[in-house]
Amino acid sequence: MIDIRDLRREFGGIKALAGVTLSVAEGERRAIIGPNGAGKTTLFNILTGELEPTGGTVRLGGVDVTGARPHQLARRGLARMYQRNELFDPLPARDNVSLALCARRGPYRPFTSPPKSERAEADALLERVGLAERAAVPARELSHGERRQLELALALAQRPTVLLLDEPTAGMSPAETSRIAALIDRLERALTIVIVEHDMDVVFRLAERITVLHEGRVIAEGTPQQVRGDTQVNEVYLGKVVA
Amino acid sequence: MSGDVAIQQALNGISFGALLFILAAGLSLIFGMMDVVNLAHGAFYMLGAYVTLFLVQRTGQFYPALVVAPLVVGLLGLVIEPLLLRRLRGRHLDQVLLTIGVSLVVADLIGLTFGREIRSIPLPSGLDRSVTVAGSDYPVYRLFVIAFGIAMAAVLAVVHRRTQLGALIRAGVDDAQMLDALGVDIDRLFATTFAVGAALAGLAGVIAAPVFGIFPGMDTEALINSLIVVVVGGLGTLSGAVAGAGLVGPAYTFGTVLVPQFALALIFAIMAFVLLLRPTGLLGRVRIAR
Amino acid sequence: MRRIALAVVALVAALLLIAFPVWSAAWESSRYATTILRDMLVLAIFALSLDLLVGSSGLPSLGHAAFFGGGAYAAAIAMQRLATDDLLVGLVAAVLVAAVLALVIGIFAVRSAGIFFLMLTLAFAQLVFAVAFQWTDVTGGSNGFSGVHRPTFLGMDFNGAEALYELVATIFVLVVLFLWRIRSSTYGRALVGLRENERRMRALGYNTTRLKLSAFILAGATAGIGGALSAYALRFVSSNDVSVGRSIEAFVSVLVGGSGTLLGPAVGAVVVLYIERVLPSTLQELTGRQFAEAILGVVFIVFVLAVRQGIVGLARLAYVRARR
Repeated sequence: MIDIRDLRREFGGIKALAGVTLSVAEGERRAIIGPNGAGKTTLFNILTGELEPTGGTVRLGGVDVTGARPHQLARRGLARMYQRNELFDPLPARDNVSLALCARRGPYRPFTSPPKSERAEADALLERVGLAERAAVPARELSHGERRQLELALALAQRPTVLLLDEPTAGMSPAETSRIAALIDRLERALTIVIVEHDMDVVFRLAERITVLHEGRVIAEGTPQQVRGDTQVNEVYLGKVVA
Repeated sequence: MSGDVAIQQALNGISFGALLFILAAGLSLIFGMMDVVNLAHGAFYMLGAYVTLFLVQRTGQFYPALVVAPLVVGLLGLVIEPLLLRRLRGRHLDQVLLTIGVSLVVADLIGLTFGREIRSIPLPSGLDRSVTVAGSDYPVYRLFVIAFGIAMAAVLAVVHRRTQLGALIRAGVDDAQMLDALGVDIDRLFATTFAVGAALAGLAGVIAAPVFGIFPGMDTEALINSLIVVVVGGLGTLSGAVAGAGLVGPAYTFGTVLVPQFALALIFAIMAFVLLLRPTGLLGRVRIAR
Repeated sequence: MRRIALAVVALVAALLLIAFPVWSAAWESSRYATTILRDMLVLAIFALSLDLLVGSSGLPSLGHAAFFGGGAYAAAIAMQRLATDDLLVGLVAAVLVAAVLALVIGIFAVRSAGIFFLMLTLAFAQLVFAVAFQWTDVTGGSNGFSGVHRPTFLGMDFNGAEALYELVATIFVLVVLFLWRIRSSTYGRALVGLRENERRMRALGYNTTRLKLSAFILAGATAGIGGALSAYALRFVSSNDVSVGRSIEAFVSVLVGGSGTLLGPAVGAVVVLYIERVLPSTLQELTGRQFAEAILGVVFIVFVLAVRQGIVGLARLAYVRARR
């Protein structure tokens, strides 16, 4: 589904990505882990088109999408949950989701009202992420955990084929963490999911395969068991966290 | 155009560029530190020119204005920043809008005080002569403007390199927490920056007064000119102001001679061209969203 | 029920507005009031169009006069060159020229945001000003373009002051309806999304550049209609109509009335023209001097500092509080 070849990105001489090659199969659930500064967010920003790579190629569903703009990639079925929530703060949760639904349906015309069915569809999505009671509350008044749930609802509203999750549990309490992990776990199996996450319990619970990034390179890849047993990975990363 | 005329026009262009530099440097300084485009910059320039007019009328002397006018305008800046801008700190766009209101008030009060006619002052004594350049007469005052502009550039470059203010500007520090952590008194820093930027506008007004005239509407003209310079050169850097002024000044002067009807259009064409190639200006450090 | 009541109220208000010269005829100052109100409505159309950018989409344009003035010149010149009084010719010319100008300026401006957007729109509008000022053969240059024909339409003649007022008021009502419809459409919602979070909009699959450009053109074309009406009303177009001052008038109207509220900019236009047109004579009587611009500046500063939501926004807030 995702096919990355020798992806490179430099920031003023600093190599954030130094030749990453990575393949994710359709329907696979892949985690990308690594210490801070390993290049995970840079990788996501390139995958979603917000950043142009210095070199290398990205293929999505067999099509070369290197350098495509974010909205083009979104229309190819790519959706993203941001590490820091990117919501429409003054708008109610329901309207946040509606805007996402509308983008998929398109085209947006100056004289066409949103269809009546949209409200029900938005409410269904909110219910799915556990925000049914909060539909009328402005996004900025939601708790942090709820905002993360809404962030996920926005991504799901796009009906993506590929879902990129950038630290979905960032800043969450243990209870919130397990709730959102369960939510992600229950998503349709056909959906390809790439998840960047620091919480190793969440990673080992959700991921079928794990890629380890370090200093802009892939240093290991395999099943959770294989990665756990990899000495190099333990040295640079896991050793510090799992002990 | 003959060679001699070309040399004269080149000097005209450079002297206009020197004036634009002083004007744009103030705008760029304020932006570099505070992330605010001061749209009252033209009104400050106008105030500088009218203070000069006042002094020349009262004393018959031009030179004191070089000190007094920047002081007056700087003091005004020193009042406006804490009184108005500080209340909106962090809301950059609102701060910019606020400066529109300031410019309306300042320009109208100038009109109320000095009348709304076109005024002029004589060239200052000692600089009212001509010298022979490339076979014909050339006004000394314009050479003075060039020298003054270069001197100002040198002074500002030293400030930029050697002082704490310069260091902060070079680092592009505009985050209140960061400044706090560095132990900088942010209120004082911003008030000073705004005052110095305003004073530079006032100084440009003094320099311009004997050659470009003193009239209502000069504020808008100066504001647009300085905006074009910083858009072309890049906002927030001293070298950007130099590059922008160095390009726009001569381009406008030659445009006026060669294609009088389209001189302004030429400047805008340059601006559009630069923006297409480099959206942040020639030497800008500010990133603009893709 | 509530919607029907609201519609009835709106209809009655619109009719009362359009019929102002009729029911005010008995007043001593009816003619003067009609003229002032006409000019307020012209500025209101202009300000409403700007709010489509400032309020709805979060694009602070300080060069909107380019489209207002462009429309004014286009209507005046087209009708003179084609030797016609047809209202449609003038309006179509105004809308076309304003839209093309907006397209060209927009291509550069929408690549930026915030303060840079403001600077670029201001600078490019000044280019239009320079052309209007220097291209004397076509625009009349610094003398302006005088002797604009008042229009006719389907046998109706808008030459008289009352008839022209009614034309302006009718078009004002239509523009309000048009903008109200846009705001509640899928497109209008997308503009709000743009204002609140452009990054997210891109990630959702919106082509935000095209969205911004389309809003810019739509707002420009609407401003062009305002310009055409100004040309008819004053029978005169000058470079003032393309100037920074005119752009600022609209911007102040938007902020004082309340950006992002449907009718706020119209309320703001009333305040601004009151300060600019009615107040000076009062000041003259009281003090023997004129400083209306300074007062306008002070009012603007106060609103930016303390009443950022504007008059209508403030009223709305008070209404919500009262109901709780």
